[in-house]
Amino acid sequence: MLTAAAPPPPHDTDPKSSARPGAPLVVEALAREGVDYVFGYPGGAIMPVYDALPGSRLKHVLVRHEQAAALAADAYGRVSGEPGVCLATSGPGATNLITGIANAFMDSVPMVAITGQVGTSLMGTDAFQEIDVFGVTLPIVKHSFIARSADEIPQIFAEAFALAKGGRPGPVLIDLPKDVTQASGPFPPSGPVPAPAGYAPPDAASMRAAEAMLRAARRPVLYFGGGIAIARAEAALRDFHDRTRIPAVATLKGLGGLPTEREDFLGMLGMHGTRAANTAVMESDLLICVGARFDDRATGKLDTFAPGAQVIHIDGDASEISKLRRANVALPGDIAAILTALDPGRLDIAAWRARCTQNAADWAFRYDAPGAGVYAPALLNELSRQAGDRFIATCDVGQHQMWVAQHCRFSRPQAHLTSAGLGAMGYGIPAGIGALFAEPDATVVTVTGDGSIMMNIQELATLRRYGLPLKIVLLDNAQLGMVRQWQELFYEQNFSEVDLYDNPDFAEVARAFGIEAFTVDRRDDVPGAIDRLLKTRGPILAHVRIDPAENVWPLVPPGKSNSDMMEAS
Amino acid sequence: MTCRIDIDFRPGEGAVLRLIGLVERRGFVVRAMNLPETRAGASARLTLDVAPRDAGRRVETVCAQLAKMYEVVAVNSAQPRALEAAS
Repeated sequence: MLTAAAPPPPHDTDPKSSARPGAPLVVEALAREGVDYVFGYPGGAIMPVYDALPGSRLKHVLVRHEQAAALAADAYGRVSGEPGVCLATSGPGATNLITGIANAFMDSVPMVAITGQVGTSLMGTDAFQEIDVFGVTLPIVKHSFIARSADEIPQIFAEAFALAKGGRPGPVLIDLPKDVTQASGPFPPSGPVPAPAGYAPPDAASMRAAEAMLRAARRPVLYFGGGIAIARAEAALRDFHDRTRIPAVATLKGLGGLPTEREDFLGMLGMHGTRAANTAVMESDLLICVGARFDDRATGKLDTFAPGAQVIHIDGDASEISKLRRANVALPGDIAAILTALDPGRLDIAAWRARCTQNAADWAFRYDAPGAGVYAPALLNELSRQAGDRFIATCDVGQHQMWVAQHCRFSRPQAHLTSAGLGAMGYGIPAGIGALFAEPDATVVTVTGDGSIMMNIQELATLRRYGLPLKIVLLDNAQLGMVRQWQELFYEQNFSEVDLYDNPDFAEVARAFGIEAFTVDRRDDVPGAIDRLLKTRGPILAHVRIDPAENVWPLVPPGKSNSDMMEAS
Repeated sequence: MTCRIDIDFRPGEGAVLRLIGLVERRGFVVRAMNLPETRAGASARLTLDVAPRDAGRRVETVCAQLAKMYEVVAVNSAQPRALEAAS
């Protein structure tokens, strides 16, 4: 973001000699936290830190837009469980990070975002490239710091990393004024940092009450969400499910907590959930909510959600319990420990399990759509199955995002990276970059749309630069498909500004970035396309043209009950 | 219905903005506030009288959200009925 017209700040003297002492503290602090990768983009106010990077153990990933730095750091954090780190300059560099920071906040992802700032004497004077990023980000960070002097840097970084990954994870911002990173030492080492919030053991009486409710229930449903991935509690969830065999449903972020093909798993609930999942929830007499928050996309009209069910709510964040739906039994704390300790004994639910299983079979997705064109759900289903347990899907937002959730096979929570809470178009390719740095051996597939890919298409250059073997499936319907679907269904077919007839030739665009690319138009070509995607060692883009009129089904209309699902006519 | 929330906190940079901002964003109107002089290194107490913007907002929830903030030491809320009678 440095421009040729940028005047040097008045306190700049000799940048080479004055930049050394303060900025290396930043690099040392990151190394002390075990950071391997920093996703960033340099500019004026952050230059002292960039000056200190060469020769350090940190590997900097130069993206082509700061938003991509934050979104890649988000995905890195989701896959690794450690804070993803992004770095940008002041002003527009900092504001470009904001979508990624908000994304991490909404989905509880550990992240440390570092921004340069104008010198402290210039703060509050509307200086060149000054923005109050501390103030702008207050609603979307777990915490934030401004380093007012260089000797605070070690302590601030230690606290920031502990906060980002402790308790319910989230993004932490560190704003670094330029005079601070240019200041001279000596500096003290960092002091004690807050221990990650420990959990008290689950309340014994509440545990016994929950077990009694489980034994009394005849139609229980296990409803789990992103809290499973956050707590790395999938083993405990699977063990609990093994012991109880309670029919289970997942939120968008919960997918992968139980393997897709597992018996008694009914799929995703909510707006684009399966009929079997939504029906089970609506008929249930007990909901065991684990790491989920009764989000409106999952519940539909809240006061009609699971109307006959009592609720046991298990969550790592006590403030989520009874926020939207009153819990009959509250179990805040360590999700894995609670699930492991919860032992209701034998449950009398055989008839209920049989009913749910039959519903799942009767209402299973079908992949025998008529016609010779590509049917995206079938392509995604087959691709994910062939990719196996190393598969990681990263998505953008729109119809393709819901098709991924509905039709892909996930073996673990980290296999599904999606902008769930924020719903940020542009997430897919940067997330694929972050995922590949976190897990280089994974088979990472970005599924995107022709609307979404244009939000961060410049990151094809990053793929090329680092030779990242990202496999991009671009589902092109020449429309903003989800908006078009809603206009068709809820706005009397008044199609307004959704036609993307003038898209570029995406395969040509990819090739211009040095990325292998090919186009798929016919269903018969799909097996060969999947084979080529999976066998190619470098980055590759499959440009897949699909029917513009295709919709995502089923669908719960906005504001309606989950029992009011619409199906394809 | 107005509720009183007492928040004991470490007065770091941005702390007051962070506390009031959270209360407002989570659906409460701040009717009154009191913040005695703060001193570096000492904890401070911010007292807010708040009213929910709609019937779906529970003071217990916003107190739990405040309690998990980094600089917050303790949160207490007065019983809404008692405060109403006193006001």
